[in-house]
Parts: sequence; C-alpha cells; structure tokens
Amino acid sequence: MRLDPRTKLFMVFVVSAIVMMSATTPLLWAVRIAVTMVPIILLITEKHYASAFRFLVLYGIALALLFGLLSEGSTGIVAALLLGYCCIIVQFLPAIITAWYVVRTTKIGEFVSAMQRMHVPDGITISLAVVMRFFPTIKEEYASIRDAMKMRGVMLGGGNAAKMIEFRMIPLLFSCVNIGDELSAAAITRGLGGKVKRTSATDLKMKAADWLMAVAFTAAAAVFVVFKYVL
Amino acid sequence: MKKEGLKAKDFITVGIFTALLLVVEFACGMLGFIHPYIVASYVVMIPLVGSIPMMLFYTKIEKFGMLTTMSVLIAIFMFITGMGYLGAPLIIAAGVLADLIAKSGKYKNFKKIALSHGVFCLWICANYFPVIVTADSYRKDLLDGGYSAEYCDNLFRAINGKTIAVLLILCFVFGIIGAFVGKAVVKKHFEKAGIV
Repeated sequence: MRLDPRTKLFMVFVVSAIVMMSATTPLLWAVRIAVTMVPIILLITEKHYASAFRFLVLYGIALALLFGLLSEGSTGIVAALLLGYCCIIVQFLPAIITAWYVVRTTKIGEFVSAMQRMHVPDGITISLAVVMRFFPTIKEEYASIRDAMKMRGVMLGGGNAAKMIEFRMIPLLFSCVNIGDELSAAAITRGLGGKVKRTSATDLKMKAADWLMAVAFTAAAAVFVVFKYVL
Repeated sequence: MKKEGLKAKDFITVGIFTALLLVVEFACGMLGFIHPYIVASYVVMIPLVGSIPMMLFYTKIEKFGMLTTMSVLIAIFMFITGMGYLGAPLIIAAGVLADLIAKSGKYKNFKKIALSHGVFCLWICANYFPVIVTADSYRKDLLDGGYSAEYCDNLFRAINGKTIAVLLILCFVFGIIGAFVGKAVVKKHFEKAGIV
C-alpha cells in the first residue's frame, strides 16, 4: 500500500505530538501502542521486513521490561538505569519508527512535489530533502571510515577524547563536503532551482487509504488529548 | 558578494551541514541516557564538537538566510524527534540573530563569526524547555511514565528556572570557545587541503 507523502507527514506530525504527552492510563497506552504498530505494519507492507522486525522486537522488549520493572518498583542502580533506557525507548521510538518509515518509503521526488503542493518555500523543501537523503549517506561514510581505521590499526584514538572525535569527524566532513558538491552539481544539471515550476512524474492523489489513515490518526490524537487533559 | 537571494546550491549546503549537526546532537543525546547531569552538559559538548562542522559551514556562507534556514530545519527535526514545539521560537530566534551578527561582519570577520556561533548555540537550550516551562506536569509525566524518582530529582536539580540562565550563558561561552576550536581544526585540516 502506497500512501501519499502528505498523509505520511501528517502521521509524523500526529505521532510526534502523541510522543510528547506521556501515557498514564491503560487506554492511553493502548492508543500509543496502536499508533506505534501502524508504521511497523506499513513497513511490512512495503517489504522492509528487517527494519520492521528490529523495531518490533526493540519496542516489545522495552515495553515488557518497563511494565515488568514498574510493577516491582525500581530499586538499585541497574534497575533504575535499565528503566530509564526503556522509558526513553518507549517514549521516543514511535516517533523514530514513523520518521524511519517516511524516510525509507518516500521517494525524494514525491516528497518535493508534496511539499510544493503544500506551498512550503522551495528553500526549506530542498534543504529538508537533502537532510533526509543525507542521514544514510553519513552512516555509510562513517562505516567506511571505521573500516579504514581498523585497517590501519587505529582504535579509539588512544583513549584521547579529542583525538577520538577528530579522527572520525574530519574524514567525515571531507567526504560530506565532496558529496555535497557532487549532489548540487547533479541537482542543478537537472534543473533544480530554475525559474520554471517543477513538474512531477508521479501524480499525487489522496486515495481512500490516505483519508482512512488521516482520520484514524486524527482520532488517536483526539482521544489522547481528551482523555488526558479534559477527563 | 552578490545581492541576490539564495540558490539551490546554498540550500543543499545548508541541508548537508544540518544533517551533520543533527548527527552530532543525536550522538551526544545518546550519552544523556546515562545520567541526568550529562543532559545538562550538552551545553558544553554540543558547542565544542558541533563547532567543527559549523566553522566549516561558516566558511561557505556568503548570503543572509543560510543560518536562518538551518535553524528552521533544526526546529522541525526537534519537533519530529519528540522534543516539543516549545523550543522552536528560541531556535529560530537564535538562528536569525546569529545570521544578523555574522552578516554585520560580512560572514568573513572572525570575531563576528565567533559571536554569531555563540548565539547560534543557544538553540541547544531549547532541549531543556519542556523541563522548565512545564516543570510540575513534566515531572509528574516522567514519574507516571516510569522514570525513577532519583533520575527526576537529579534532572530537576540540574535543570530548572534558576539554572537555565547559567545554561544559556554556558551555551554562549562554549559556543565562542567552540568557534576558536573549530577554526583551529578547520585551519589545520581543510585549509591545508585547499577545500576552504
């Protein structure tokens, strides 16, 4: 099932809002978990099995530990630390999963034309698209830097914090600046930043599934707000 | 320096450096899980480490708007990652102000750049806004959410209405120190390689 990028952005928006309010009652927990499951299921339908599975396991373990430890009451440093970790995971993972889903399944072209439809300034759109595209690149570049360091037998920079940062940051910056130059050359060759209005090969349309998803997420947000602050 | 607006190439540069800065922020953020006092020490770590990409970024700025755009992007990403919308005005205000300061030095005067970086670093304090503005309910939320009382106590001892002033000042000071560190690093590595 392919959703419209605008629906996806709306999902991110709702999930981020829900993430900011903490769940206190079983009903709110249910809403929160349901909202987390939706992007995981969507990831599966888009055939990103590995990441869906990873998120599911991580979220499941964190939830189980959280509820398990909560009931016994947390004492001791290990329990408190573990609880802290689980809390943060449970709190923020929904937003991260949704963001991951959006980044992984949205083509940059679709994203740009969706932003254009919503009349977002071009500058913001271009920069946002670059940021989205760049996280995986940074990860790859970082992995190759680590490989290169291993090959030369440089481990951790001899325990010196400044060296540790320098050894990783500088090569990363070098490659990112170069990739950036290539990226802008490629983008400008293809007419980015021209005066003519951009057209898109894929026609964006809100389908039934999009409306359904939008309504479901609005309802989730409404339930959350009403039950937490009104009742 | 041409008088025209930003081009696609500038926005791509902004995007790249924003991505780098966010990676630095997330890397430091991971450490915050360990102890609440580390959360408070973001004001030291992020300006110092983030200054390296930022100083390289400053060498690429020629026109007004790039720092502002960056701050808008940071605000958007802070919202998406669940840090809340409360900090957004501070982030964008810091971005615009930093942009204006750097502009007054034509993006070349290093003293102005250092000052501008100090101001820009104030965005880090937006991380703390939910803690301060909604202190009571936030604390209750954390406790209800299952954080240990100990973590909460420490967090609120380190970050509250009184210490935010100190944290803001620290951000600013370490932003300026970071500018010098970043400048030295850029000089050492990038000027030699002819990238700047």
